Amino acid sequence: MTARTVEAIRREDVVPELEGKALEARSLIIDMAAAPTGCHIGGSLSVIDLLLAAYAVYGSDPASAIILSKGHSAAALYAALYVQGIMPDNPAESYGASGSLFTGHPNHKLPGIPFATGSLGHGVPYAAGWALAQRLKGTGGTGVVIGGDGELQEGLCWETAQIAQAKGISNFVYIVDCNGGQNDGLVQDISPLPQLRERFEAFGFRVRETDGHDYGAILSAIDVALAPGEEAGKPLAVLARTVKGKGVRAIEGNPEAHYAKIPAKTADKWKRSLT
Amino acid sequence: MTHSSREAYKLELTELAREDGRILCLEADLGGKNHAFQAEHPDRFFNVGIAEAAGIDIAAGLAEAGFVPFFSTFASFAALRASESIKLAMGYMGKNIKIAAAYGGVSGGWFGTTHHCLEDIAVLQSFQHIRIVCPHGEAETRQAIREAAASPEPYYIRLARNDAFESLPREAGSSLRDVLYQGKDRPNARLCLVSVGEQATEICARIAAEDESLVHAHLAYVDSGSLKRVAPELRSVSSRFLVVEEHRGTGGTASYLALLLPDAEVYSHDCGHDWPIYGGSHADVLRDLGFGEDELRRQIAELGGSRHDRSA
Repeated sequence: MTARTVEAIRREDVVPELEGKALEARSLIIDMAAAPTGCHIGGSLSVIDLLLAAYAVYGSDPASAIILSKGHSAAALYAALYVQGIMPDNPAESYGASGSLFTGHPNHKLPGIPFATGSLGHGVPYAAGWALAQRLKGTGGTGVVIGGDGELQEGLCWETAQIAQAKGISNFVYIVDCNGGQNDGLVQDISPLPQLRERFEAFGFRVRETDGHDYGAILSAIDVALAPGEEAGKPLAVLARTVKGKGVRAIEGNPEAHYAKIPAKTADKWKRSLT
Repeated sequence: MTHSSREAYKLELTELAREDGRILCLEADLGGKNHAFQAEHPDRFFNVGIAEAAGIDIAAGLAEAGFVPFFSTFASFAALRASESIKLAMGYMGKNIKIAAAYGGVSGGWFGTTHHCLEDIAVLQSFQHIRIVCPHGEAETRQAIREAAASPEPYYIRLARNDAFESLPREAGSSLRDVLYQGKDRPNARLCLVSVGEQATEICARIAAEDESLVHAHLAYVDSGSLKRVAPELRSVSSRFLVVEEHRGTGGTASYLALLLPDAEVYSHDCGHDWPIYGGSHADVLRDLGFGEDELRRQIAELGGSRHDRSA
C-alpha cells in the first residue's frame, strides 16, 4: 500500500476515528504518568495528534517510515502505536518497569520503532536517510520525522536541513511540534527560534504552518508532500502550533508539566475530564 | 604500483559496487576530487558535506532500507565528532554501516593535532558489536572492504594517509580475522610482538625477521569480540606480549588483551600520553611521541626475558 491522500482520508471519514483514537491515546499517556516512574506528559500530549495524523497518512505504507525524534515523548509514541494496532501490548501496563521494553525513550526492540531516539536531533537525519533510500529504490515512500521546537537547538537538525535541500530529498517531511516548552522552561526564554518559517524556507523547504490539534488542518498540511504542485523537488516542513499538556486542563500550557508523576486518583480525574 | 590504504579503499569499493547495487559511497567532503566511485557510480555517490554526525544517521536510514552505505572521512571526525551517532546507530542498534576512516593515528603528519586520532580504537572498542579493522597495506585494505561489504555487521576500518605498503603474505582464502604469524613455530620464543596498523606491522616484521627469539603476530581485527576470539590462540603461542599500536596506551589493544590474558605479561609500545604538537612526516610525528623502530628495539631489549616455556 502507498500513503493515503487526504482526499481519501476525508472520503473514508477518518477524522472522527482519529479523534476517538486521540482520546484513547491521551488516556494511556495519563496512565503512564501514573506509573511509578511517571513520564514526559506535557510533550506527549502536545505531539499525540501529530503522530496519529502521520500514521493515518503513512502508517500503512511499508515504504514510508515515521520517526519520533523528540524521543522523550515516548509515551505518546507507544500510545499511538498501540491504538493503531501496530504494537500489541498495552504500554501503560509496564511502562518504565523492570524487565519492560517500554523504556522512557523509544526502544527499537519494540515493533513499529526502527530507530531509538531521545538523544535529540538524531531522528531527523535518520528519516532523511530513509527518504533518500526510497528515492534510490523508486518506491514512492516517504521519510517522516516529528521533532520538537526545543530540539531545533541541536545542530543535527540543521545539518540535515542543509543536506536535504542540497540533495533534493523531496520525499522528506519534517513536522515540528511547536509547543514552546523544553526541559528547563520556555523555548523563548532559553534559546528562542525567531523567524522559524523563514529559516526553513531559506533551507529550501516548503513550509506549512498549522494548528497541531486540528486533524483536518494537520492532514492538509502533510498532504502538500503528496501533492507538491509548483514546489515539487523540495522537502516539506510542517510547523505545528501545539499546547503542552493538551487535553488536560490542569496542565495545559504549563511548562512545568514537562515531566510528571501523578497519583492514580489524579489520573482517573484527568482521564474523566479529557477534552 | 602499490596504493595507499585510503586510495585502495576507493578503488576496491568502486569495483565491488559493480556487482552489488546495495553499496553506496558517502563522503563528508574529504574524499578528494576525481573520486573513482563518483566517476563510475554517480547515482550512488553522496558527498553530504561537512556534516559527519548527520552523515552517519543518514547512513542508518539508508541501511535500514537495505543499502550498504560506506561512509568515509578522517578518523578524528568520524570516531570523535560523530561519536554519538556511531554509538547509537551502529553500536546499540547494529545498523549495517561501514566507516572507512582515513588519517588514522598521526598519519596526517604535519597537518597537526586536530587531524590526528590516537583515541579512536578506545572509543570504538567501548561501543560493543562494531567490528574494528586496522589493515596493513593494499591487499589487506582491499580484503577488509570486501569482508565489510559481505558482512551484516557495522564496521570501522582505520586507514592511513598516503603511505603505501605491501601487505604481508597471507594464505589464499584466509580471513583477515585470522592472526597472521611470523615465526609461530619458533620454539619457546621470549616475546610475542603483536602488531596493529601499518607502521607497527612494518616495524615488527623487520625486527622479527632479524631476531629469532621473537614471534610476530599481526592482528587486523581488534574489536573486543575479535580479540576475545583470538586470545586463547595467542596464549598458546606465548606468555609474554608486546603490543605495538599507533594509539594511546589507554583503551588500546594492549589494555584489552591484558584483561583477556590475566596470566600473561602484556606490554605496550604506543604513542604515550603527550599530544602531537610538531610537524614533519608521519614517522617524524611518531618519533616525537616515542613510537618507532629504534624505540621499539630499546623496549624489547629492556624487557629482556629468556626463552619461555609456552605452557608456563
